[in-house]
Amino acid sequence: MLEIRNLNKIYPGGVHALKDVSFTVEDGEFVVLIGLSGSGKSTLLRCINRLVEPTSGQVIWDGVDITAAAPSELRRIRRQIGMIFQQFNLVKRLSVMTNVLTGRLGYVPAWRSLLNYWTAEEKRMAMANLERVGIADQAWKRADELSGGQQQRVAIARALMQQPRLILADEPVASLDPATSHSVMKYILELNRRDGITVICSLHFLSLARQYGTRIIALRDGHIVFDGKPEEIDDRRFKEIYGEEAVEVEIR
Amino acid sequence: MNEKTPQMRRPFSLKRFVRNVVFLAVAVVVYLYGWKVTEINLGVLIRDVKDIKPLVVDLVRPELMVREEQSRLITYEYPIPCPENFQPKPAEAMGMQLEVKPGCGKADEITVTLRNARPNTSARVEWHFPIGTDQLLVQGTTDENGSLRLRFKRPVATIGGEKGLHGVKITLYWEEGPLRVSDTVKTVADKMVETVFLALMATTFGVIFAMPISFFGARNLMMTTKWGAVVYYLVRLVFNILRSVETLIWAVIFVVWVGIGPFAGVMALTVHSVAALAKLYSEAIESIDPGPIEAITATGASRLQTIIYAVVPQVIPPFIAFTIYRWDINVRMSTVVGLVGGGGIGYILIQYINLLQYRRAAVAMWAIVIVVSAMDYLSGYVREKIV
Ligand SMILES: Nc1ncnc2c1ncn2[C@@H]1O[C@H](COP(=O)(O)OP(=O)(O)O)[C@@H](O)[C@H]1O
Ligand SMILES: [Mg+2]
Repeated sequence: MLEIRNLNKIYPGGVHALKDVSFTVEDGEFVVLIGLSGSGKSTLLRCINRLVEPTSGQVIWDGVDITAAAPSELRRIRRQIGMIFQQFNLVKRLSVMTNVLTGRLGYVPAWRSLLNYWTAEEKRMAMANLERVGIADQAWKRADELSGGQQQRVAIARALMQQPRLILADEPVASLDPATSHSVMKYILELNRRDGITVICSLHFLSLARQYGTRIIALRDGHIVFDGKPEEIDDRRFKEIYGEEAVEVEIR
Repeated sequence: MNEKTPQMRRPFSLKRFVRNVVFLAVAVVVYLYGWKVTEINLGVLIRDVKDIKPLVVDLVRPELMVREEQSRLITYEYPIPCPENFQPKPAEAMGMQLEVKPGCGKADEITVTLRNARPNTSARVEWHFPIGTDQLLVQGTTDENGSLRLRFKRPVATIGGEKGLHGVKITLYWEEGPLRVSDTVKTVADKMVETVFLALMATTFGVIFAMPISFFGARNLMMTTKWGAVVYYLVRLVFNILRSVETLIWAVIFVVWVGIGPFAGVMALTVHSVAALAKLYSEAIESIDPGPIEAITATGASRLQTIIYAVVPQVIPPFIAFTIYRWDINVRMSTVVGLVGGGGIGYILIQYINLLQYRRAAVAMWAIVIVVSAMDYLSGYVREKIV
């Protein structure tokens, strides 16, 4: 169970990006975060694994206060939380295989990283994860030779190497075309359904959120303005989230 | 015309006018003073063009090949004071005859006449003092009959006194036999090898030290913690100071420290290379895509692991490019650190010039042109292939 308690984030520039955000996520949930750009979705996701340091408030995961964890403990927590990004964030000049293997770094002693040494077991595991996302044949290509959709699948395989219990996905399909978006979303959904991994995924479009989320949390200017089931979002709620001028568009 | 026509001219402003006049006046004063301080004198440039002529002429005929030098020596024994019953008698050697007038004593002016010598040959007249030293007096050339007549002032001995058996020595010298590669070429080649290795060592040491240090001078890696920021500013400060001192000045410092020679040059080039490369490397690190750093950090990787997997792969191409660029600079600089005693080709170039041996200096200069452009071409080729 993940508990967010009164989370606040004020950036050095003075932007108050999260305002007293509190909610609880049960194990196995697929939570979709929505909101206009600038509403604080990325900040919230990064506060959970402390890529962004919260200004105040707590993030408690299975009774452990992540916000109070010392550096070495934080790393042990992080390795159980996979993260997927809008820009994929692969290391472009490295092979697909090495990119996937880096998902294992949290479990590997530093001297092995200095030598770039990976065990046969780790390589086998990387291959299995690449197979799972359907791109085992691309393993020895340079990461930047792959298409956007393929790169995001590499990123999913990298996250799987962590054997995560939680996945944070920050607009994972915002840089992809609609057809590719669905194929990537299906892989993320499968991690949730088949492996029971809890997923918190921010999405730009409500139509995608309705399709994949079992629960939707909406942010506006750093506040939670909605927390409930997708079907509860009617016209009035939609305008509360996206503003009066917005119209819902469909992504197929 | 309607009244809405915009004004075509900017309205006059007294403030701007005064500012422009002041600016102009300051500029005039600055340049007048600059002209005076730097002693610019275009007249000299034209008047003394003849002084540069021997250098330019010799530059196009470097001393590459020489023939064996042959010489013949004849010596006339010249006593001071004149012995009693002195009978003037010419000296003879190898068929040559040398007559000296007057043949003894403290004469002011002396005339020497050489006969039956090799025709059209350079000759050098030296005075031999009783203590064993020689002094060059005049040079000349024998005529087609092998004769030569020269007048000169008798040199006065500064040490050892006048009394004793002096000598008038005439050396005829000419080149003969097959052409062979000159010793100058060998010396220059030797020094050129030293020069290139000087650049190689300095660049290598520069890379070895600059690479690890550059990570501490990269804002994006260091600004995450307070102590990181302190280290960052310190590293930047030290390298800005080191970089502001030119390589030649470092060479002067190291010549004082470790003595004249290539080691001083290596040290000078290394110090400047470390500082310059560290700055370039740091900037390369600062301009990488932060996304992979975020992603690798999120996997639970340590700081070191994040740098190895997210930073290093991204900075390899710019690091190689900057290293080649530095190698270029170091090859150039290694040819001049010798001017102040730092070893390499510059060291002998300045010696040849000081001894007015322009044909030898020409060999060194052409060697520099060839090697520097060859290295330029080579690094351009490598850059194209790798980056
Ligand atoms: N590193 C940062 N420094 C300062 N302000 C930031 C930073 N990152 C985000 N913000 C600001 O915080 C607010 C929330 O941004 P973000 O979390 O990226 O929103 P979203 O992901 O929903 O688009 C925005 O106003 C943004 O400008
Ligand atoms: Mg965002």
